[in-house]
Amino acid sequence: MDGSLFLQSLVLGILLGGLYALLAAGLTLYFGIMRVVMIAHSAFLILAAYLAWFFHRETGIDPLFSLVITVPLFFAVGVLMQRLLVARLRPITLTMMSVLLTFAIALVIEGMLGFVFSGTQRRIQLGYSGASIEVFGARLAVVKLITFALAAASLAALYAIMKYTRFGQALRATIQHKEAAQLVGIKTDRVAGYGFGLGLATAAIGGTALALDATIYPSLHWHWIGPLMAIIVVGGLGSIPGAAIAAMVLGIGQSLLQIPMGTTWAQTIFYVALFATLMLRPQGFFGGRLAQRF
Amino acid sequence: MLSASSRPRVSKALVAKGVVFVACAAALLTFPDWAPNPYILSAGIVVLSYAVLSTSWNFVGGFTGYISLGHAAYFGLGAYGTALLVTELGLPSFVAWFVAGLGVAVLAVPIGWAALRVRGASFVIVSIALVLILLLVFQSWSGLTGGSNGLVVPRPFPDLLRPEHHRTFFYLFAGLLAVTLLAWWLIDRSRFGMGLKAIREDEDKAEALGVPTYAYKLVVFVVSAFFTALGGGMYALWFGDLDPVFQFSILIGSYMVLMALLGGVRQLYGPLLGAVIVGSALEYFKLEFGDTQFHLVATGLLLAVVVLFMPDGIIPAGTRLVERFKPQRSSIREMSAADLLARDEAEPGPAPGPRSTPPTEKEEAKR
Amino acid sequence: MSTKTTSIIRIGAMLGAATLALTACGGSDSGGGDDDGPITIGVSLPLTGDFAEPGKGVQRGYEAWAADVNDAGGLLGRKVELKILDDQSNADRVVADYESLIAQDEVDLVFGPFSTRLVVPAARVADEYGMLFVEPAGAAPEVFEQGFGNLFYAAPAVADDHYNYLAEWIEALPADQRPKTAAYAAMDDPFAMGTAYGLKDKMEAAGIKTVVDEKYPPNTTDFSSIAAKIEASNADMIVGGTQYQDAVNLIVALQQLDYQPKLAAFSTAPTNPEFPEAIGSKTEGILSPTGYTEQADIPTNKEFVESYTERNGNPPGEDEANAYTTGQVVAAAVEAVGCAEQGDCQQKLIDWLRDNEVDTVVGPLSWDEDGRPKGAHMIQQYVGGDIKIVLPESVKEAEIVYPKPAW
Repeated sequence: MDGSLFLQSLVLGILLGGLYALLAAGLTLYFGIMRVVMIAHSAFLILAAYLAWFFHRETGIDPLFSLVITVPLFFAVGVLMQRLLVARLRPITLTMMSVLLTFAIALVIEGMLGFVFSGTQRRIQLGYSGASIEVFGARLAVVKLITFALAAASLAALYAIMKYTRFGQALRATIQHKEAAQLVGIKTDRVAGYGFGLGLATAAIGGTALALDATIYPSLHWHWIGPLMAIIVVGGLGSIPGAAIAAMVLGIGQSLLQIPMGTTWAQTIFYVALFATLMLRPQGFFGGRLAQRF
Repeated sequence: MLSASSRPRVSKALVAKGVVFVACAAALLTFPDWAPNPYILSAGIVVLSYAVLSTSWNFVGGFTGYISLGHAAYFGLGAYGTALLVTELGLPSFVAWFVAGLGVAVLAVPIGWAALRVRGASFVIVSIALVLILLLVFQSWSGLTGGSNGLVVPRPFPDLLRPEHHRTFFYLFAGLLAVTLLAWWLIDRSRFGMGLKAIREDEDKAEALGVPTYAYKLVVFVVSAFFTALGGGMYALWFGDLDPVFQFSILIGSYMVLMALLGGVRQLYGPLLGAVIVGSALEYFKLEFGDTQFHLVATGLLLAVVVLFMPDGIIPAGTRLVERFKPQRSSIREMSAADLLARDEAEPGPAPGPRSTPPTEKEEAKR
Repeated sequence: MSTKTTSIIRIGAMLGAATLALTACGGSDSGGGDDDGPITIGVSLPLTGDFAEPGKGVQRGYEAWAADVNDAGGLLGRKVELKILDDQSNADRVVADYESLIAQDEVDLVFGPFSTRLVVPAARVADEYGMLFVEPAGAAPEVFEQGFGNLFYAAPAVADDHYNYLAEWIEALPADQRPKTAAYAAMDDPFAMGTAYGLKDKMEAAGIKTVVDEKYPPNTTDFSSIAAKIEASNADMIVGGTQYQDAVNLIVALQQLDYQPKLAAFSTAPTNPEFPEAIGSKTEGILSPTGYTEQADIPTNKEFVESYTERNGNPPGEDEANAYTTGQVVAAAVEAVGCAEQGDCQQKLIDWLRDNEVDTVVGPLSWDEDGRPKGAHMIQQYVGGDIKIVLPESVKEAEIVYPKPAW
């Protein structure tokens, strides 16, 4: 394996890992707040990507500007989803039924996307799509850098919200122990709703970032949900930092493995990591108090 | 001479049940004759194959309550196993079919051993991961599996015309369905089945009571994989062309779950009923609305409705709906709780109606 | 819950489902078997999914053919009617579609779908119902190795031979100008692989070293690692066995890494009108095999180009031409044999085509006993922003550009 190829793959892996980290963070939020395994997260991701593409096609403006519309929209949708659908499930079978319910939502989204936009693969063509800058002998595509920057900025913002705002504290309290948070006077239902909205907002950002450089089609979300679930299990369910670290590790691993093994076989790393984690340490490697065998 | 006991009533119900069973079985077995054209017959075969798959799924889903969204993994393994045994080793078609089924059952042992270590949503994630990874493997290992080019399965009866081919396989699938239903029924009635249902209700308590939960779960998991693989193998022999995207499809896995849930996971014929309803609806939608993804939306909406409003299946939900129109079962007390409270506040004293404790001497004296 | 209620509900549900199944078929009309009515032709095409772009091109071609035939008075004096279903680029859907067209709708004739992946299962259905199967787009070797007795490919050459003229030209270059190394990236699709590997075999025989040989599943969208390998190998030429979107993605990824080959050849994608815009208009010098050119001075071609341009506003491309050719082939057989319906007629049509040559917009076509046409594809290239035929010498419109300018 020659040096420049290795470096190139490493760099690609880091950039990829950033995106994975953002997406996995959102997924972790849902699980932490309500023990809901949100299979539809990647479907919303693709929905956001389609909205960015559609925005660009109709207005010709850079798709990044669509974030202004999609982020608040997805936040609202997230809150609604939590209040109207998830809260209706019986608590005993919540986790199981939420999997099925969110699975159903994912199917509906995929179907509607295919219905409205047809199954043709779409790709945004920007003036700077083919541009790249050279750093230490590795070529970094500009669009990939923008994706990474967006992801990093969003994760930083998420971290800031969680740590420094009242809402963030209430959210963390709800995640840690719902009943205790209620005793302290936090309106956990409302906080849970907003937390969901926050998670879906990260999907909006991730999806727009994805649309810059990827080809999108309605069934693409299946391609993402496997790795994302593997990441949050490996990272430890409910732990955002854990998810971020696992995302970087697996993203870099996938990119490096692509050299000897090819794109498709390299994807198996996620599933291997998932099975290994469940066998050896089911609560994940980085999970804190929250992670559990559920 | 019949005595004036409950016997006439029991016989009547039994007779009714028997009549229904015979009528449905007759309708099923003569379907190839009253199907208007071979295309409808082939759609009927698809519905039957769904029935086999969802009933096989129901071994795990119905008895233990573990929901596996990736059960299509065994469907695909059975299909490819059969195909490869026929093309690579030259085994006769139905021998290959059975051997592939056994092979998948053997494979299900380590898979189940790993997967059943976790429960609930974790198990669902593992099942989805399994089908996704198998999809990747079968797409990439094209030297063995033909990759995305697909694998052609030689016809077991090469001289048959297509309509005859469909007829033969219709009866074969019906036979497989009968065997699967029989197996389910036997387990349902056995101690083994009781243990599984205990696991479904509360796994830890069952373990505490002495049910060997892990072993039981593993056995039923293997049985389920076996029947699913047989369904997959038969599909391969009938359809003739395999593609990893369809054999290892999360969508098929979700159909299995939807059909079983809709029909009712606790009934023997629940998955069959779900398969008939959903399967025919699917074929109809795909043909009429083929160029849209509407069938995905329909599946998703149906699944959401079932999960939110009828998690026990359509039969209990339907009966509840029907019973709304019948005279309501009233409580023994003619008064509501609020009335009781009002009356007790007005004059404290022993309440009328059955008492759980005998009156004390004081209260006896009062009276 | 009493047993009786369960049973009643069960009967009701079963009957309901049966009714549903019956209504599904009750709605269709039997189109065939009517001697004076229109001739119905059943087709299943990938109008959505992986093969949607070329699939729609084929649809336009079929519709152009039907319109032209009807304008000229119809086939055997009867109008032709197309019944087109969408198979979403799915192999199981295409089987169900042709089954329903032949068995339920009782169409008189069938035309083939797009892509080898879909042609093989569809041809089998047609074969088992005894129908003639002329197809516009299944060119890979395995199509002809299945033992179908009813199949004819309506284009000049099979996949392996698509790049023949290019291979000859490269071999004829002087040794110092010839590329020394080559990279191949092919979609795991019988046609795409067929074209790329057909060229690879000839290049390896000519001594050009293969330094990268990658295969990827059809819905791959991320080409960064394949592009990285190609760029790291610094191959002189890149050959893509591609459809449409994957070629676009691969080229963009190669542009992002600033890889500049001396020769770049991709199958299918460069013949698509949206291709230049999709890769940022940096198309100069990209080669592609093509079975069709609208400038060709072949009988029936001029009329086809004229009527198509008038109807659609732009000249026809290769997919449209292949579809039109399919129509011409079937029409020739039908006119010669004098029948158009299911049954024995189909075998007569098959036998006639086996022994005869048909004049089409891609030239005269004739077939061997497995349905392979006996001809060769031309090579086109983007020269000065336009598509021009550069090989073979006898039909070229411009000089081939070599080495390829930077993209």
